[in-house]
Amino acid sequence: MAFAEQSKSNLPAGKLSKASVMSFLSAQGILIFFLVGMFVFSFFSEQFLSQSNIMTVVRQASIIGIIAVGVTVVIIGGNLDLSVGSMLSFSTVLVVDLHDKVGPTTAILMMFALTLMLGAVNGILIGFLRLNSLIVTLAMLSAIQGFVLIYSGGQNVDIANQDGTWFAFFGRGYLGGIAVPILLFGLLAILVQVVMSYTGYGRRIFAVGGNPMAAVYSGIRKNWCVFSTYLISAFCVACAALVLGSRVMGSQNNVGQGYELLVLAGIILGGTSLLGGAGSIWKTVIGVLILGFIQNGLLLMGYPYYIQWIVTWVIIILAVWLDLANKRKRLLTTHS
Amino acid sequence: MFKKTTLAASIIMMSITTAQAEGPYRIGITQNNVGVDSYQTTYESAFEAAAEEAGNVDIVVLDAGGDVARQIGQMQDLIQQQVDAIIIWPTNGQAVIPAIRQAHQAGIPVVVTNSKIAEAGLEFIAAFSGPDNVQQGIASAEMMCDALGGEGQIVQIAGQPGYTTAMERATGFEVRLAEACPGVELLETQPGNWNRERAQRVMEDFLTKYDRIDGVYSGDDNMGVGALNAAKGADRADEIIFIGATNFAVGYDAIERGEYYGSIYQSPVDDAEAALQTALDVLAGEEVPKMNFFETPKITAENLSEFDRPVF
Repeated sequence: MAFAEQSKSNLPAGKLSKASVMSFLSAQGILIFFLVGMFVFSFFSEQFLSQSNIMTVVRQASIIGIIAVGVTVVIIGGNLDLSVGSMLSFSTVLVVDLHDKVGPTTAILMMFALTLMLGAVNGILIGFLRLNSLIVTLAMLSAIQGFVLIYSGGQNVDIANQDGTWFAFFGRGYLGGIAVPILLFGLLAILVQVVMSYTGYGRRIFAVGGNPMAAVYSGIRKNWCVFSTYLISAFCVACAALVLGSRVMGSQNNVGQGYELLVLAGIILGGTSLLGGAGSIWKTVIGVLILGFIQNGLLLMGYPYYIQWIVTWVIIILAVWLDLANKRKRLLTTHS
Repeated sequence: MFKKTTLAASIIMMSITTAQAEGPYRIGITQNNVGVDSYQTTYESAFEAAAEEAGNVDIVVLDAGGDVARQIGQMQDLIQQQVDAIIIWPTNGQAVIPAIRQAHQAGIPVVVTNSKIAEAGLEFIAAFSGPDNVQQGIASAEMMCDALGGEGQIVQIAGQPGYTTAMERATGFEVRLAEACPGVELLETQPGNWNRERAQRVMEDFLTKYDRIDGVYSGDDNMGVGALNAAKGADRADEIIFIGATNFAVGYDAIERGEYYGSIYQSPVDDAEAALQTALDVLAGEEVPKMNFFETPKITAENLSEFDRPVF
């Protein structure tokens, strides 16, 4: 947690009073929750904290994580992106289908270009036409799924020669003993966090999300900022599609269905405000990992994995509640 | 959006068929969710081809898009149009029964295709035509038993929870395995939702959890290949027997490479042709049994060459 949090406590710092401990606990609540949760799970399953299991979980979570990095930027900029689920289906089907037709390099380039185009459409509609992002991306969610079905004609796509292509590198490869999806996830998270924290561009996105009016009056080109966040989001989806397509070596045409909600769940769990102007990539990374470890932990304990939906719900409500309680300095509402 | 296009297309097709309703029979079909998977997509084109071939049939093709309410509406539309017979691929084995009863009361014979409806609805249908999923589960259990020589520990990756096909295959498999192969222990079952990536993740977790896995039974080959991917990633594919159902092209290829032991060959073309034939038999006034199962044989490396590579 080397990077500055955007929301700071207004209590005097320095003294280790009860209040400051409390505020530390609630500000870092999600991290503490994560560590406690890992500890509890490790009692029920001896493999849970094994190195190979941790690697497995992080690798599984990296697809959602990569997308969540991009969507966090959109949310910090004060908008939403629900279209990422269908966009993931689109990009995965495209890259897998084109792989055997035009070769991996061209397939990857074309997939990135077309995915960025979809992001640009979102960006133009929301950034320049200033349409509501919830409605635009919800509509894009179904429109893109339609494109995928028309493109694939409802057929699954597969890569014929699974063992003889370097395309396998992105989903199945290892570099220095670490799985490539994890490396990609880590690199993207660090890169985007650095951009958001240390560059003028990052500060402009925070400004636009926090107070759009003030941002415009300070000379920030808000339209371009919003537009660019959707390009970042689409770029992340394209990276995730690369990992997913390479990992599975094939694609169903609805493979990304529901991912938009998992991504949002990870982001909300991390504590990034849906109102914009606050949040951090680190928190999102932790949120996504919590989701991954819950799913894996429940399965290792022998529960059907859909129990995680219920558990996730409970945790999200708790996270939102604690966040709010922290802001108003009490657990229940201030007004009856 | 695609669903709307198919719907629009089917409306156009409907008007064409009404315009030239000279053939002796008009058969309406309401399908589950065309376009969502390769099996259903192939089924639809095979059904249209079979009707073309039969010559004396006009078809009204509708697609419920997986939506029960829409399917009930489509049933009512078909009743209004007074088609001669209705073929339904139920979106839900329970909720469509009232609509089937309406058709029955209107004197229109209903043939249920591919997935069964609940017991309570059987009296209203003329016949069921489709694969015997319980039998498929039984056949897979026998293959597993043979492959393991009657001993070992295995895991199961089942289809979508609540989906009849998934439950019937799992039941057939579990019951037959316990009975015919007491030496093989089923360690755990988890749903893979007919989704390869999902199945891959489940298998990765299984591989972490169990140091020894001798076999995997998957509810279809799409998931089975996901499990195979996971085992390959963990360098444990050689020690595991993979058995699936509904042979997919990827599964067929994996059997050919010797990585996958076997599956159940179920052709959407046979499925569609059997449904149309059953409806035609009913309309011709023949004695048709209530349950009509088309052949779904075992497929392994030994008899692979007898089968065409699946188109999906």
